[in-house]
Amino acid sequence: MTETARNEPGSTGDTSGAGGDRLFGPGSRFEAFFNDPRWALAVVRATVLEAAHPQVGAALVDNSVFVAHPWRRLRNTVVSLQRMFGADDEVRRREAARLNRLHARLRGTDTRERPYDAMDPAVRAWVVATLFESSVTMCRLSGQPLEQTDMERLYAEFRAYLAALDGDARQLPATVREFWPYYDRVVEEELENTEAMRVILYRLFDHLPAPPLLQGLPTLWAAGRALAGPLLGVVTVASLPEPFRRRAGLPELPGAQALMQGAYLGVGLARFLPSGWLRTEVLTELLALSPDGDDPRARTIGALRDRMKRAGALVRLLAPLPPEPDPDAGDTARRSAEELFAAVLDQTGDGYLDWPDLAAMAREIAGRLDLDEPEETRLYDAFAGWWRELQAALDTDGDGRVSGPEYAAAVPSLAGPALIRVAEVLFDVTDADGDQRIDAAEYRALFRRGFRRDRAGSDDTYARGAFVRDFLAFMAGRERSSPYDPLLADA
Amino acid sequence: MACVMDGNGRWAARRSLPRTSGHRAAETTVIDVIEAARTAGVEWLSLYAFSTENWRRPSTEVDFLMRLVRRVVRKHAALLHARGIRCRFLGVADPRIPPALARDFADLMTLTGENRGMTLTVAFDHGGRRDIVAAARSLIRSGVPAEAVDERSFAAHLPFPDTPDVDLVIRTSGEQRISNFMLWQVAYAEWLFPPVLWPDFRATHFLECLHTYRQRDRRFGGVTPYTNGERRP
Repeated sequence: MTETARNEPGSTGDTSGAGGDRLFGPGSRFEAFFNDPRWALAVVRATVLEAAHPQVGAALVDNSVFVAHPWRRLRNTVVSLQRMFGADDEVRRREAARLNRLHARLRGTDTRERPYDAMDPAVRAWVVATLFESSVTMCRLSGQPLEQTDMERLYAEFRAYLAALDGDARQLPATVREFWPYYDRVVEEELENTEAMRVILYRLFDHLPAPPLLQGLPTLWAAGRALAGPLLGVVTVASLPEPFRRRAGLPELPGAQALMQGAYLGVGLARFLPSGWLRTEVLTELLALSPDGDDPRARTIGALRDRMKRAGALVRLLAPLPPEPDPDAGDTARRSAEELFAAVLDQTGDGYLDWPDLAAMAREIAGRLDLDEPEETRLYDAFAGWWRELQAALDTDGDGRVSGPEYAAAVPSLAGPALIRVAEVLFDVTDADGDQRIDAAEYRALFRRGFRRDRAGSDDTYARGAFVRDFLAFMAGRERSSPYDPLLADA
Repeated sequence: MACVMDGNGRWAARRSLPRTSGHRAAETTVIDVIEAARTAGVEWLSLYAFSTENWRRPSTEVDFLMRLVRRVVRKHAALLHARGIRCRFLGVADPRIPPALARDFADLMTLTGENRGMTLTVAFDHGGRRDIVAAARSLIRSGVPAEAVDERSFAAHLPFPDTPDVDLVIRTSGEQRISNFMLWQVAYAEWLFPPVLWPDFRATHFLECLHTYRQRDRRFGGVTPYTNGERRP
């Protein structure tokens, strides 16, 4: 079984294994974990360990949208993992190419001027290593350690994942036996108490924004988060390797170990639920589902989703209304400059508008439209042009980035030629068949919903002029409720 | 059956109150009538809340109405659902409708979509002619040859094609007009025009109307046996 993969150290690029025993697709160990609710805890733990690596941490802090848009990020990650571990080799090849293009754009220097590069093979190996180790630890902590053969099989699958991404898996030791010394060495020597790790442990959990589905319920969400946020933090810290906790100076709370093991055990009990109740992709889809979108899959996913939809509708209807707006306050359909800055422009949530923010927008759009080259580069180039324009016009103190106040002071100059260029390119890449009109299917690919009733013209298409105008209206904050909200503004 | 809710403004004017308080007072009647209809075994009830022509009213009154309707919908959503009432909103096409209100409408439709007790259709931003034009458009788009169009196939293109013909329309306040209300469906309807204003209309008035209709019915023929949720034959 797993020996087939082990017998060819360093060359697991062959994804089907030697004996035709496939490492991907149905029947793999990964597939079994993917719908295991404990895996949520394991992935959080893996993310913290990733972020503790100085290079990964710097890349996350600079580029990731997970602070401001965690649900969108979670959904994208789940979809990507599904593609990478699915049975279809062609889908995997495309996804790997997409991830590689995406990662090739993530490089820079951290606050201590050390360079980071998301394409560095050692860094990528560490990311895969944390996922493997967290899955193994998850089983151990919940009292059901993996059999040695299962562990080897899982390790082979993760090495194959790395190989599909990098071309080979040489950066990860060939066998599980050699893996543990490697892992212990990185934990002991390379991990640090990075800013990204602190952001995840102390900021994200305590300030997790509500998923789009529950956005009408700020009080309910805040109450639940006040309880669950710190708990998740304590559980995660307690599950980290002891040597690292000591070196990073993480707190040891009395009872935290018991709490952590109780959490893993308790979540593990969910496996006794009827099958089909907990499916990772359904849950993440649901959380990321925009309440007013009309995803066609919503009709087919079945009774659970329908019931959830009705429950969501009821909850939204029962939620207390916000206080009546002052009728003299004027046009409430406009977003204020500060609001637009926080909700749309500052994608990474660090309080500044910088290239990574606009790159994150390009990344999200390219992901949604499933763009290939050269369209993807065209889109990034358009966003880069917009960034140069913004920087030239708005960065008055010359620190290379645009702060909220700088932006608010100069809103009128926002709709320059480069932004119009972004709108034009966005139209071109969305118009997949190049007929100069966006039809319902193309619209759905970008916005995951059908035409709005007021958008649909007599022939149910969206022309270039109207598209550019609407995009500019959204980016200038003139229109608050628009299909761009779920795309760029929702958490 | 259907109700044209007329007379809120006059009700308020007679009491020297602003028009808006008439709309507020109408809420009680709406709930009362829904309850009475359900108890009396009415399976299809339509209420005419806001017409496409009502947009011409002063913007402050329109704004107030939008806020009021939103409050009413949210306040009674759970009750309507618990009563097994399926709620639908006919019209609701104008971009001037606040998105939050449109969302609440959609939520209420989602929530109660599986109910089969009684179907409550609220005509909001509704115009009978507009519906017929929309049906004609949809018919032309579907490419049906002219000879193949008959009344039944035309009606299948109207919004909510499962709505049966209306048997009885009650228009309060004594006004005797159709006002562009569900033109297609009221073709054979009996009309009653009780003089009482809508905010004063109560379950007893409703039952009186039903009684009158039954008297007339004896002369004009049987009741059509439509079942909730079933498409027209």
